[in-house]
Amino acid sequence: MWFNLAWRLFRHEMRRGELTIILAAIVLSVAAVLSLSLFSERLQSALTERTSQFMASDRLIGGRNPLPEEWLLKAQEAGFNTAQSTYMRSMVFANDTMMLADIRAVNENYPLKGDIKVTDTPFGIGVAIDAIPMPGETWVESQMFQTLGLSVGDTIEVGDKPFVITRVLSEVPDAGFSIFNSNPKVLIRKDDLPGTGIVGPGSRAGHYLFLTGEHADLEEYTDWLRPQMDSDVHFIMSVEDDDSWVGNSVRRAEQYFLLASLLAIVLASVAIAVAAQRYSQRHYDPVAIMKTLGASRKMVQRVFLLQIIFITILGIAIGGALGYGIQAAVASAIQERVAVSLQSWYWGPVLIAVFTGVICAILFSLYPLLKLFSVPPLRVLRKDLGAKMSSRIIQFLAAGGAIFLLMWTYSKNLKISAILFSSGIVLVLALLAVTYGLIWLGRRLGKGRMGAWQLAWARIQRRSMDNSVQLISFAVTIMLLLVVLVMRNDMIQQWRDQLPQGTPNYFMANITETQKPQMEQHFAESGVQVEEFYPVVRARFVAVNGERVNTEITKEDEENEVQSNRRDAFGREANLTWSYRLQRENKIVAGQWFSDYQEGEPYGMSVESKTAERLALKLGDVVTFNIGSEVVDVTITSLREVNWQTMQPNFFFVLQPEVMQGFLPTYITSFNLDTERKDEIARLMAPFSTVTLFDVDARINQLREIVDQVSMAVEFILVLVLIAGALVLIAQVQASMDERQQELAILRTLGAKGWLIRASVVFEFVIIGVVAGIMAALANELTLYLLQSQVFQMPGSLHFEYWVIAPVVGAAVVGILGAISCWRLLSLNTSQLLRNMV
Amino acid sequence: MNTAPEYMISTDSITKKVTTSEGPLQILQPISFDVKAGETIAIVGASGSGKSTLLGLLAGLDEVSSGKIHLDGAALHTMDEEQRARLRGEKVGFIFQSFMLVQSLTALENVMLPAEIAGLYNPEALANELLEKVGLSHRASHFPNQLSGGEQQRVAIARAFITQPKILFADEPTGNLDAANGEKVEKLLFELNESAHTTLVLVTHDTELADKCERQLLMHAGELTEKQSDSPQAKGDEPQLKAI
Ligand SMILES: Nc1ncnc2c1ncn2[C@@H]1O[C@H](COP(=O)(O)OP(=O)(O)OP(=O)(O)O)[C@@H](O)[C@H]1O
Ligand SMILES: [Mg+2]
Repeated sequence: MWFNLAWRLFRHEMRRGELTIILAAIVLSVAAVLSLSLFSERLQSALTERTSQFMASDRLIGGRNPLPEEWLLKAQEAGFNTAQSTYMRSMVFANDTMMLADIRAVNENYPLKGDIKVTDTPFGIGVAIDAIPMPGETWVESQMFQTLGLSVGDTIEVGDKPFVITRVLSEVPDAGFSIFNSNPKVLIRKDDLPGTGIVGPGSRAGHYLFLTGEHADLEEYTDWLRPQMDSDVHFIMSVEDDDSWVGNSVRRAEQYFLLASLLAIVLASVAIAVAAQRYSQRHYDPVAIMKTLGASRKMVQRVFLLQIIFITILGIAIGGALGYGIQAAVASAIQERVAVSLQSWYWGPVLIAVFTGVICAILFSLYPLLKLFSVPPLRVLRKDLGAKMSSRIIQFLAAGGAIFLLMWTYSKNLKISAILFSSGIVLVLALLAVTYGLIWLGRRLGKGRMGAWQLAWARIQRRSMDNSVQLISFAVTIMLLLVVLVMRNDMIQQWRDQLPQGTPNYFMANITETQKPQMEQHFAESGVQVEEFYPVVRARFVAVNGERVNTEITKEDEENEVQSNRRDAFGREANLTWSYRLQRENKIVAGQWFSDYQEGEPYGMSVESKTAERLALKLGDVVTFNIGSEVVDVTITSLREVNWQTMQPNFFFVLQPEVMQGFLPTYITSFNLDTERKDEIARLMAPFSTVTLFDVDARINQLREIVDQVSMAVEFILVLVLIAGALVLIAQVQASMDERQQELAILRTLGAKGWLIRASVVFEFVIIGVVAGIMAALANELTLYLLQSQVFQMPGSLHFEYWVIAPVVGAAVVGILGAISCWRLLSLNTSQLLRNMV
Repeated sequence: MNTAPEYMISTDSITKKVTTSEGPLQILQPISFDVKAGETIAIVGASGSGKSTLLGLLAGLDEVSSGKIHLDGAALHTMDEEQRARLRGEKVGFIFQSFMLVQSLTALENVMLPAEIAGLYNPEALANELLEKVGLSHRASHFPNQLSGGEQQRVAIARAFITQPKILFADEPTGNLDAANGEKVEKLLFELNESAHTTLVLVTHDTELADKCERQLLMHAGELTEKQSDSPQAKGDEPQLKAI
């Protein structure tokens, strides 16, 4: 019988729209969590897929010796796709000249991810091809054509074996992001490699095994493999530990998605808390009536719990459908521009969404419901009697605990959860202090004439305890929106900064002093701007503090082979440059940058800090270089940290310019040329046949594409969160408006003018909006600082503009929403209002 | 001890004290009186004199600070809220100034509510019958805010009688109604009361309404005195003045 009653109440209240707010809150939370997490899951898998292309696989196993056969067999047994390759540097001969090349011997399955791109003319635009060179054939990069004066059809010799060039190689997926000091790649078949005789004991080759397969299987395989690996010789790499620029960006984006989903959960919780409170208050009378008419406590509990269950189920169903719809719509709208794996389906987000709906509904309505159950029957005689329990602390503890639990369960990331949670706590405490402050202030200020402003102020003060919950929910909502907004701005800005429009996509080396002006002019005639010329002198690294050093490659050089962009610069020979100006994205970490040279002083040198570490160099060491036939001593005066992720030439050793007077350098420079103008390269370079050209256009385009995709994904996530936030705000204003209904009706009845009521309500919301905005901006600052420094590994930044924007926008949005719903209320006539009041 | 069955309500020195922010407040001075089964009683007095407070105590909605109340032989003052709720469900009907209908239930469902809570058989049929009696069967499916005040109070009357209570408490039943509607409601109330032989305790400002009752008790600043019956309609026993 209580079931009937609950069902009947539910049905009618549903139809009369009494449950819309709480239903909307549950729908919103489920929809937001589902759409966000499903969408980001799909994006992430697409991005992971994309980044895995830079490894040409999901897992990469490498070694300095040929890998044990057993590893391959075990991988094949596990059902993985496999490919193998051997990479090494070797001289290539043609037309009686030679040059150092990056020989890449691959087997037929290569690459497992990504594409090999080829073209028919050097520096042409590459087209993907699903093949590798035929036996005895090779594909060679443009730079080699230029340096060795080759054309397609010519023969080159690699070791003992001749190869016919059949295509121009323009891209391999796992080229790495080294743009400088890289040798042209020569792609051949792995079975052709033995014939060259270049691989033998002592040759410096890298042997690789590429794998793709199910993530769990790969993990299992890795666990099996690890104990057998010799860390001096072998390494294993997965997308997750890709430390490159792209890897970092994608990981950062993933963290952002996670953050956004967490915020959606918090928003949802706030919405439900507000709605549940409202629901509870609206049902004080029915509960009092039922109790008066003889209903036992248990019956009341059953009836209302059942109602909550009905609402929750309905909310989850609608929210689930809506969330799926939103996500699908967004995904299909952007699939042209962002790779989203539409086929895949994930149960995780669905479970999380349902879980969130249930947890939120239960935990956030628990306290309001308990309050509701405690409403005394005497309320039927004495309207002012509310619920008996009033311990807000319990409410905050329960709600806070629930939020934290949800965040932690979902993110499995204690750090992010703790940061968000603790700044939330700080915000709540600060807001409570503010509300108590307002009460205190209100008591002190006497009462003046009752204008709209005074009316608003008086109302805020009178309801300050009720308002505190409301204020907190507004402020939390605004803060969360600020966090996602600012985080997105900072992150995208940082990405864009690293690849600004006009980033050089071609590098030139071996430019002579006389070619410098000619080149500038020739390029300018075609409207191409040549960047700064860096002087370079080749030198041999001979001694440190008078002690001769073994200048053979150190072991570490090789280990970092795949991912590092510093390895190649280093050998017996080093490129020295000199300058008085510290390069962009270089930071002195020890000592001092050069000041003007004083006669008689030792010459100074700045060393990249990692290199210094590797070569055991410290400040004050005297390093001896052989330059040509001369010997130069320099003293290390500073150590620099270099951002290798920038697309600019970077140097390990920068010398004080005075040292180098008298040496004839060659120059390095770069320029930007649109991909569409690629065919002009040959003409541009024609007068400078001795200059070496490095084409990194394809790489840069790949990077930019990823940045664009990730940025766009981040934008969409932002929009989703903003929509969710806006809905929460609307629900909150709506809820608090209903609470004001009675008061408005009374004011109206007492003859207060419409504009006065409206203005006072708007003022009230404006005040709440301003306070919430200010507090949100402060809390936002704290959260962002913690997030950026602890999670996103970005430099923290202050955002003063939001200290103004947040209160202004808060006031405007909350005020406007308040005005709209107030207008709706006032458009009902007084008798309707009074009737609704009962 | 006034537990004799002929008394539907029997009170012995009941008081009500509350603590307010300005200190303790005694709303009701010790009050003792008895009400016989089937009697109709009006409690009159100035606003704020404590009429509703007394009604709440008699009906078991509130707890006495001291003293004893027996309702149809049951010792209310010893019961907890759960027990009192059961007692209310079984023996008591209510009518309020502000009607106190559940807004999200229809007129019919509001009338059914006590019957459902009490677990009576076929509440819908009973409710329809009562709606018929109060002349609102055509509004059965309407919600309270679609009904006029008078109509809402008639629904409330129907609801009050559905469990065939032994005692009916009414707090200002016509307070929110205009004269015509008030009269209609009054008429209905007394008719139904008479046919069901219910004991009626009503609080009112309306002297005409009070005059229709067999006895009148006057509340003044928390003290209750029997008002000497000077009305010709008064019938039954002579007043039993017990005010202290
Ligand atoms: N719990 C309480 N706390 C403080 N004061 C109370 C409480 N209950 C009742 N009062 C006060 O006791 C007095 C009597 O209240 P009661 O509602 O019984 O008056 P009443 O006679 O019904 O008045 P009216 O005719 O206006 O309904 C009032 O002054 C009221 O404010
Ligand atoms: Mg009263």
